[in-house]
Amino acid sequence: MDAPQRPLAGSLSNRLAALALLAFSLVYGFAGSRIDYAFSSDPLGPRVFPVLLAGILGLLSLIYLLVPGRSETWPQGSVLMRCLALPVLVLIAALLFEPIGFAGAMFVMTAGVGRIFGASWRASLIGGLVQAALWYVVFGYLLDVYLPVGELFAVSRRG
Amino acid sequence: MNLDYLWTGFSVALSWQNLLIGLVGCFLGTIIGALPAIGPINGIALLLPIAYTLGLPPESTMILLAAIYTGSEYGGRISSILLNVPGDAGAVMTALDGNPLARQGRAGEALMISGLSSFVGGIIGVVGLTLFAPFLASLAIGFGPAEYFVLMVFAFATLGSMVGSQPVKTLIGCVLGLMLATVGLDPTSGAYRFTFDSPELGDGIDFVVLVIGLFSISEAMLMLESHAAGTSIVGKVGRTFVRWKDVVFTTGATLRGSIIGFVVGVLPGTGASVASAVSYTLEKRVSDRDGTFGKGDMRGLASPEAANNSCAAGAFVPMLTLGVPGSGTTAVMLGALMLYNIQPGPQLFAERPEIVGGLIASLYIGNVLLLLLNIPFVGIFSRLLLLPNWILVPGILVLSVVGVYSTHASVEAVLLMLGVGCMGWLLRKLGFDMAPIILGFVLGKVMEVNLRNALAISGGELGILFQSHISLILWVLAALVAVGPWVLQRWSRRRAARG
Repeated sequence: MDAPQRPLAGSLSNRLAALALLAFSLVYGFAGSRIDYAFSSDPLGPRVFPVLLAGILGLLSLIYLLVPGRSETWPQGSVLMRCLALPVLVLIAALLFEPIGFAGAMFVMTAGVGRIFGASWRASLIGGLVQAALWYVVFGYLLDVYLPVGELFAVSRRG
Repeated sequence: MNLDYLWTGFSVALSWQNLLIGLVGCFLGTIIGALPAIGPINGIALLLPIAYTLGLPPESTMILLAAIYTGSEYGGRISSILLNVPGDAGAVMTALDGNPLARQGRAGEALMISGLSSFVGGIIGVVGLTLFAPFLASLAIGFGPAEYFVLMVFAFATLGSMVGSQPVKTLIGCVLGLMLATVGLDPTSGAYRFTFDSPELGDGIDFVVLVIGLFSISEAMLMLESHAAGTSIVGKVGRTFVRWKDVVFTTGATLRGSIIGFVVGVLPGTGASVASAVSYTLEKRVSDRDGTFGKGDMRGLASPEAANNSCAAGAFVPMLTLGVPGSGTTAVMLGALMLYNIQPGPQLFAERPEIVGGLIASLYIGNVLLLLLNIPFVGIFSRLLLLPNWILVPGILVLSVVGVYSTHASVEAVLLMLGVGCMGWLLRKLGFDMAPIILGFVLGKVMEVNLRNALAISGGELGILFQSHISLILWVLAALVAVGPWVLQRWSRRRAARG
C-alpha cells in the first residue's frame, strides 16, 4: 500500500485501500499457488491454505470496495509533517544505534520526539538527556540488558 | 472438582519473587490504564520482550503480564472520570456517568465506588475462571483437529460480528493476521513460504516485532494527532470516601455487570470494550427509570467497571483451555506463551499446573493488591495524568526499541518494527482495529495445522469437518453469531418503523 501523499476524502482512501488489498490478495494467492515442495505428509499440502486465504481476502476486499465505510480524517499541514517526522526520527535512531551506541541514539530520538510533541528546544534537549541517561542506567545496569556502547567509542577505547 | 492446580498455583504466586513481580505489574498496570491513549494491550506489548530478555520463567512472565492487564482495567477509570477521556477501550462507558459525577464535585466518591465495583467484578471473574476453566478443559480433551478448526472459525465469526462497527474491516484484519502467520518454514512439507529467500523470514515473522510495531509505533503516531487537537484539564479528585448508601445502591449493577463481563470475556475474541458496552446498555434498560443515566448515576459507573474487570478474567478461560484468546490482550499473552514454546490447550492444566495455577492465583492476589493500591493512592495516580506527552511518548519509543533490539540483537528487527508500525498507522486511520490482526496471527499456524491434520485423518474428505456433534454445534453457533445481530437489527428497525 502506498502512503497517502495528501489528505484524502474518507471513502476515496478506503476505496484505494480496498484496491490495494485486492491486488495484494492476487499477488499473495499467485505466490501461494506456486509454493515449491517435494512431498507432503498430508493431502492438503502447503499451498491450499494460503490460496484459500487469498480467496477470502479477495472477496472481503470486493465487499470493502463496494461499501467503503468510514475512516478517520487524514492529518494535514504541520500535523502531517510531524506524523511523518516521528518514524523518521525512530529510523535515524535505529541507524545510529550501533555506531554511536544506545545512549546517543536514544538522546537523538527522545529529544527529537519531545520537540515534535510541542516541547521547547530547551525542554526537549534536557528531557532527552535525562531520558537517555535514565534508561541507560535502568536497562544497562539494573536490568542487565545487552545494549550497544557504540562502535566509535569501542574503537577509541581500544586505541 | 479437582482444584489441585490452584494450590500449586498459590505456592508459585506467593513466592517472594512472584509477589514482587505481581506488585510491580499492578502498579505499572494502573499507570498504563490511567494514561489516556495507552491501554493494557500497549503495556503488555511493551513489557513482554523485556520480561523475556530478562530470562524470567514463563509463569513469572505470565504473572507480570496478567497483573498489568488487570491493573490497567482498574486504572482506565481514572482518566475516564477525571478527564472524560477513556484511559483504555474498556473504560469508554465509564466516562458516561463518571465524568458528570466529577463535574458535580463527586470525583472522589466516583473513584471509590468504581474501584470497589472493579474489585467485585475482578473477583467474580477469577472465581468464574477457577471453576469454569477446568470444566471447559475437560470438555476440550475430546476435541480433535476438526473440532479445533471449527472452533477457530467460530472465534472469527464472533470477532467479526461483535468487535467494532465495521465487520468487513474486522474480518480483513483477521485474514491479514492469518496470512502473516503463513510466512516461514512449513513443518509438514519443508517448504519455505513467502520468505523471498531471506534467512530471517525462515522462522516466520517475529511476534515481538509485529506486536510492538502495531501497538506502540502506530499508537505514538496517533497520539501526535490527538495531541495537536488540544490538551485537557484534569479535574480535582476531592475528598475520597465511600458512602454505605452508594454501595447498597450499586450492588445490583455491580453484580449484573460482573456476570455479563465474565460471559463476554469467555466468548473468543471479544474484550473489555464489548463487555462494558453490553453491561452499560443492559443496566440502563433495567435501572434507568428516572432518566438519570448519563448525568452522573453511580449505577452507570459501577456496571461497566465491574464488567471490564470481570471480562479480563473471563478472557483467560478460552485462552488457557482451548488456546483461543478471549480478547486482544489475551491474544498477545498467548503469543508470549508461544515465545516460550508453550501451546496452551486442555493439557496445560495437567502438564504445567505452575503456569495455569500461578496465573490464576496471581489474579486473586492481584485484585486484592489493586484494591489496596487504588483506594488510598488514587490521588497519586491521578497526578500522573499531568505527565506531558513530550515525556511520555519518547519513553514509550525507547521501550519499544530496547524491547525489539534486546530480543534479536539486530537493527534489522527494529527497522522491520518501524515498517509494521507505519502500516499499522495507515490501517488504523482507515478504521481497522489492530486486535483482529494479532488474533489471526497467533491462531494462524494452529488453524492451518488442525485443518490439515483433520483432512489427513479423513484422507482428504471434507465431511470430517461436519462429522461430530461438537463440530456441528460450533458451526451452528458460528452461523448464529455471524447472522444473529444483523437479523435482530433489521427486526427491531422494522418494529420501530411500525411504531
